[in-house]
Amino acid sequence: MGYNMCNYVFSEIMGEERTMSEYENMIRRQRKWMFCLLAIMVLGAGFTPYTRIFLGLLLGSTVSFYNLYLLQKKIVNFTDAVAKEEKSKGLGTLSRFAGAALAIIIALRFEEEINIIAVIIGLMTSYMVIMIDFALFRDKD
Amino acid sequence: MGALAAAIAVGLGALGAGVGNGLIVSKTVEGIARQPELKGQLQTTMFIGVGLVEAVPIIGVVIALMVM
Repeated sequence: MGYNMCNYVFSEIMGEERTMSEYENMIRRQRKWMFCLLAIMVLGAGFTPYTRIFLGLLLGSTVSFYNLYLLQKKIVNFTDAVAKEEKSKGLGTLSRFAGAALAIIIALRFEEEINIIAVIIGLMTSYMVIMIDFALFRDKD
Repeated sequence: MGALAAAIAVGLGALGAGVGNGLIVSKTVEGIARQPELKGQLQTTMFIGVGLVEAVPIIGVVIALMVM
């Protein structure tokens, strides 16, 4: 029982669900990476003296996570529609631009509380996650 | 001048991303139409391609808003 539980938790953490497709595995791994980074940023904002920087990182990463989720979902919808020969909708590029713009507008509005450079670095988090995940798991999948 | 700089930053960024996205999506659609069983693999490639292409115009939007 204990061994099975450990095995389950380990496979959950590592995203080793062999029944799932390569794309679904990748989505799960990236989601875990993003949640881990967000948790670290929340801890940083709460327990370190660099609140302004960590709040900026948190805002940027949250929007970046939303952008990542939107991209993953839209690509599944798009490719499914192509495979079924149905009419497909767009890829949601404008929504992602609008998300980034919203984050910057919030950062400009609350300049005393949020560092704008940190927001920009936070916005790039999901791209870092995509690249690192691709580099690490390119051969395994 | 700030508005002009913002317009150029967003416009050129979006132009490049549009061309890049168009190439990626057209090749993916072609691939899925030829071999629907490779959908999972093509999805992954398309996801990484579109994600990386869109990083540049997003930075463009950010710079434009900061310039304005």
